[in-house]
Amino acid sequence: MFEILKEHLSFRKQLVQLARADVARQHKGAALGWLWELVKPTIMITVYWFAFTYGIRNGGDVMGHPFALFLVVGIVPWFYMSSMLTGGASAIRKYKYLVTKMKFPVSTIPTFVNVSRLITHLAMMAIVLIILLFNGYQFDIYILQFPLYVILMFFFFNAWSLFSSVIVSFSKDFMNLIKSTTRVLFWISGILYSVDEIHVEWIRDVLRINPITFFVEGYRNTFLYGRWFFEDWKALIVFAIVMVVMIVTSVLVYHKLRKQLVDVL
Amino acid sequence: MNKTTESDMITNDEVVRFSHVTKKYQLYKDDKKRLLGMLFGARIPHKTKVASNDLSFSIKRGESVAFLGRNGAGKSTLLKIITGVVFPTSGEAFINGRVSALLELTAGFDGEFTGRENIYLRAHLMGLEKKQIKAAEKDIVEFAELDEYIDQPVRTYSSGMKARLGFAINVSINPEILVVDEALSVGDMKFQEKCRVRLSEIMKKDHVTVLLVTHSIGSAKSFCNRGIVLKNGSIIFDGNINDAAEAYKESNN
Repeated sequence: MFEILKEHLSFRKQLVQLARADVARQHKGAALGWLWELVKPTIMITVYWFAFTYGIRNGGDVMGHPFALFLVVGIVPWFYMSSMLTGGASAIRKYKYLVTKMKFPVSTIPTFVNVSRLITHLAMMAIVLIILLFNGYQFDIYILQFPLYVILMFFFFNAWSLFSSVIVSFSKDFMNLIKSTTRVLFWISGILYSVDEIHVEWIRDVLRINPITFFVEGYRNTFLYGRWFFEDWKALIVFAIVMVVMIVTSVLVYHKLRKQLVDVL
Repeated sequence: MNKTTESDMITNDEVVRFSHVTKKYQLYKDDKKRLLGMLFGARIPHKTKVASNDLSFSIKRGESVAFLGRNGAGKSTLLKIITGVVFPTSGEAFINGRVSALLELTAGFDGEFTGRENIYLRAHLMGLEKKQIKAAEKDIVEFAELDEYIDQPVRTYSSGMKARLGFAINVSINPEILVVDEALSVGDMKFQEKCRVRLSEIMKKDHVTVLLVTHSIGSAKSFCNRGIVLKNGSIIFDGNINDAAEAYKESNN
């Protein structure tokens, strides 16, 4: 744990450079460049909105909010989380040459990859805010908890990325497992519907263990419902436990396998 | 941080000290076995290859040492331990100073970026400030003889161009320890000569420690005054370069 923090601290300047390079790298060779970061999610959101408004739900409100807004506020953090789920997991493989060709603090690789994606996410959230304002929503005090959710989300999935990118380096099987699980997670994390609306209590409780649900709900608490993060203290405690487990696992795995990474990549 | 950066065990005029360094590689039959090996450790059948066997030596600042040995003698593993890429299985390696490695010159570039952007990226990773890089930039571009190609993506480069750029970057970022792995065979005769001249220059001027891996006894003799001969992962000779060259020839017979 200490070692990982030290690596990050001594490498913070390079981290910024690498994150910038990672952003630039994704858009090289495409004429539309950065715009794709907005085009892709917009298409996805439109399709889901269409299917659920005209097809499945008949355009009903969710928790007293228009479905389109309910969807946008929940799915934008999901885009960021899913990119950290899969992109974070393949971070070390993608930047293999940093491990095998030079002396490099490996634990910082998932970090700068996730920082690079964070920039896109914040840009998208700015657009979401504008959409909300146009629909007559006002800024209120609850927006103060937005940075908290972003930071918690970043830390949780950064721990996940460190853990998963190390084991993915050992075997591609894990990558396939993660990719197929991500699709499942999309449907069980209450992104297209509200977990609160499920009538079977035990299903609701099980789904709430999932940290993705915690964050999706958190974003809605902040921008739609006007609820504080501590109001649902049960969910908060469950998340805290999951978070600690995640961090401990990733630190242990990194510590145990770091020196063998270069031999298997 | 790993042990290779600690300097309490190493005296000030030493740049490299190996103490009983052994590196073993575990070779599994296939990926499935390797995965099981990761989960269950030594119980899964595998072969063990000893790439470095109980190596102990020390190199002083400003020395130039040639590592001689046939293919598979363990030269590359040894250099990778010095550069901090590979970690010893047992024993300890102490390194003192910034290592610049010319291992596989063509690797380590990001193909999507231009040559110039790669110069900045690489130099940032080596911990240089923007000002220092700017100062070295022109020199690097000129030395690599890339002209207008420097602003094209590296993926469009030929392997010779990449190698030239790699060499130029590595000798220009003020290294304290320069590891050269067969890099002197880059480009045409004229470029090779230029590399030699530059190498001797920085050796004399900045007291850079040069560690050279080569099969060519000629270039070993012209650069180095000390030679270490490796065979099957062990050191079989360590001393004056001329004697080392003899020992290397003998070991081949």
